[in-house]
Amino acid sequence: MKPAWTIAKREITSFFVSPLAYIVLTTWLLWQGGTFWVMSFWFSQQDLSAGASGANPLSHYFGGTTLFYIPLLVYTPLLTMRLLAEEHRQGTIEPLLTAPVSEVNVVLGKYLAAMTFWAAMWVPTLMFVWLTSRFGDVDLWKVAATYVGLMGLGGYYMSLGLLMSALSKSQIVAAVLTFLVLGALFILGLLQFLFPDDGVREVFEYMSIWAHMNAFSGGIVDSRYLVYDLSLAALGVFLSIRVLESRRYES
Amino acid sequence: MIEVRNLTKRYGPRSAVENVSFRVRPGEIVGFLGPNGAGKSTTLRMLTGFLAPSAGEIRISGIDMLEQPIEARKRIGYMPEACPLYPEMRVVEYLRYRAELKGVSSRDMAKRVDTALAQASVTEVASRIIGQLSKGTKQRVGLADALVADPPLLVLDEPTAGLDPNQIRQVRELIRGFEGQKTVLLSTHILSEVEATCERLVIINKGRIIREGTPDELRQATLTKERWFVVRSKALRADLESALRSVAGVRGFDDERSDVEDGITRLVVRAADEPDIAERIFEGVAKAGLTLRELAPAKGASLEDVFTVLTKGEATAAPAESEDESEDESEDESEDESEDESEDESEDESEDESEDESADESEDESEDESEDESEDESEDDSEKGPKS
Repeated sequence: MKPAWTIAKREITSFFVSPLAYIVLTTWLLWQGGTFWVMSFWFSQQDLSAGASGANPLSHYFGGTTLFYIPLLVYTPLLTMRLLAEEHRQGTIEPLLTAPVSEVNVVLGKYLAAMTFWAAMWVPTLMFVWLTSRFGDVDLWKVAATYVGLMGLGGYYMSLGLLMSALSKSQIVAAVLTFLVLGALFILGLLQFLFPDDGVREVFEYMSIWAHMNAFSGGIVDSRYLVYDLSLAALGVFLSIRVLESRRYES
Repeated sequence: MIEVRNLTKRYGPRSAVENVSFRVRPGEIVGFLGPNGAGKSTTLRMLTGFLAPSAGEIRISGIDMLEQPIEARKRIGYMPEACPLYPEMRVVEYLRYRAELKGVSSRDMAKRVDTALAQASVTEVASRIIGQLSKGTKQRVGLADALVADPPLLVLDEPTAGLDPNQIRQVRELIRGFEGQKTVLLSTHILSEVEATCERLVIINKGRIIREGTPDELRQATLTKERWFVVRSKALRADLESALRSVAGVRGFDDERSDVEDGITRLVVRAADEPDIAERIFEGVAKAGLTLRELAPAKGASLEDVFTVLTKGEATAAPAESEDESEDESEDESEDESEDESEDESEDESEDESEDESADESEDESEDESEDESEDESEDDSEKGPKS
């Protein structure tokens, strides 16, 4: 596992010396700040007596509206597109794969780096938690559950992004593919609102990141969603390893 | 150290490398020589485990590359062609990263990185960002990378491409310095490189090994039936060349060693090894109304010529030459043909494919070559025009 860590370290350093990292982080924070402001503003307008007890700016901010999901679909490809596609484009995949390192280590290293990027994006949002806590009660258990949910979601988002980056030799193609795949999964999840029938509805709800985030931000750590996240994450990582291995049989 | 048996790589119906077998003994410096697109890089990529072969066997120090790839790769320091690096990293960061990846312990790290920097003479750019370095310097950073884990075997794909003459000399000296300590397999299409650094060479063309041996062995094996002359005359080069071409037995010129200085043309002539060939050249020049200033035997059969003969059809000198002969002397033509056959069969078999292949694998270069050739031919035609 040591080579995986070496590879992850290099990837993380390279990302954070690139201008891309700062463009991504800045626009991300602007967007999230705006969203949080909208939520706070909306809740400040509500009549207290009318307010439902469970709803608060934080749980709404984390997955209550599309304002939360749209940037996820846009920013995930930006985080993962470089991972393997860039190695292929630059040709650095050749020294990498001729070093005494297995494909498993290469892919795990890249995945670890992507998860670090993902975590780094969410760290600043702790500020919103702190802000809310100054003006009202914050249930720390709910906050913890929310972040567990975020990491679960990131687990499979990063893994699918990594797979798309393994499949393409250009960052742009990797980014577009990731966007399309995540978008398709997102829309599939939205079908839960179309089916009143319980059986079908439950299937789509299970796949829906909306239902997923609502459960976690409501303080429910639902193991079904974690199983779903981890399965998709494992599948993406496994397929990336196979893709990388099969590259040795091509040109 | 390296044992390759029946190595084959196919891309669909086309095979880039076909049934290649060779051995490199420990401590040897071996040159892997061939024109662009001959399958050198593909072979080296299979040797280092980057590409999986379609068939065949690779052993590095007795370890099977296909069964224990990690163990085998630990013993190899590989410098890929064009030497890809991460442009955003600093040289020393990159080498530390590579050393860590190759399993150098943190205790030896500083020492190994410093040694590699010094060996590849990139110590003074250690803290520079790789993206800002010149191509030659990047190349040497790649060499430092190959050296950083102190592997017993170095595989270098065109190690001197893109270097200036001073750097080329440095790299050659470095490689020669490994003699007896490390095993080196280097690929190149530059012949002087092989003569300067290698004890033994393997010539590959169109995916097949066509010769193997020391430079001297190859010279004797291929070019015994020819003699070389230096001809100097106060004449235009075109005139002198056409005069010599009309001499029976003259087979061509060595453009590398021919020149024109102060109106005096110096040609190095390749001719059949016949008893009266010198007299015939003398007469031929006189007949054309030119005066000889010098006619002397030249040191012939450079590796350049061996290479030209062995890989005929792709080297620049050969096509123009054979065309001229077919126009001038029917006798010579038949002679030449029989010679080709005896020397290399595989070449004739796959001659038709050669153009497609080189176009696929190295578009730029083959285009350049074909342009050169067509230019040469048209020049030749215009030279002959007024005479005939």
